[in-house]
Amino acid sequence: MIKVLFFGPVVERIGKNALEVGYRPGMTLQELRDELALHYPQAFEIVCFFAVNGQHVRDLAMPLADNSEVTFMARFSGG
Amino acid sequence: MKAAVRIQQEDFSQDEEIAALKASSRRMGGIATFVGCARDFSEGRDVSEISFDAYGSMAVSEMNQLRSDAIAKFGLLDARIVHRICTVTAGDNIVFIAAGAEHRVAALEACRWMIDELKLRVPIWKKETTPQGETWVVAHP
Repeated sequence: MIKVLFFGPVVERIGKNALEVGYRPGMTLQELRDELALHYPQAFEIVCFFAVNGQHVRDLAMPLADNSEVTFMARFSGG
Repeated sequence: MKAAVRIQQEDFSQDEEIAALKASSRRMGGIATFVGCARDFSEGRDVSEISFDAYGSMAVSEMNQLRSDAIAKFGLLDARIVHRICTVTAGDNIVFIAAGAEHRVAALEACRWMIDELKLRVPIWKKETTPQGETWVVAHP
């Protein structure tokens, strides 16, 4: 199972702050992103950063491990 | 002593943070600080309050990395970063950054660099409440 987290403006567009997606061996971050973007296109319009297990990831071809924590994030606005 | 990098709901004391920074080294000859605080307007609209959301564990991890990077990049003796995650109104403190170095130039440049990098790297989001409703802030350069 992949745990997917959302924060701030992405939560507002998805309507929840977390969901779980079944793990498939070999699945990549890009595949997970595309799958979720089909269901939540308005949210993914503003997604521009990705994190896996709390670390920034820039390569969407990254394969995911089972039980990963994945976060799709809008541009930050702290400070 | 409180950790050098924190996210917290409550306000921070600049005096306590500076004292903690000074306590880390007697070679410190320059301390630069930045305090981000809440405004009552944004993009031409009145703002009654600002609230924050954060990916807490990642935010603290990124802030710790940011502090380490600043110490290495500018040769600092110490640095501290505190960000509040709560709801604030005009005048309330939001973020505190301090850089301590042997000389002023490194401290000033590092302080500016840390707040700029924080806005780029640290997963925190700001929502403003205005008469027109609530709006998530689009980051400024």
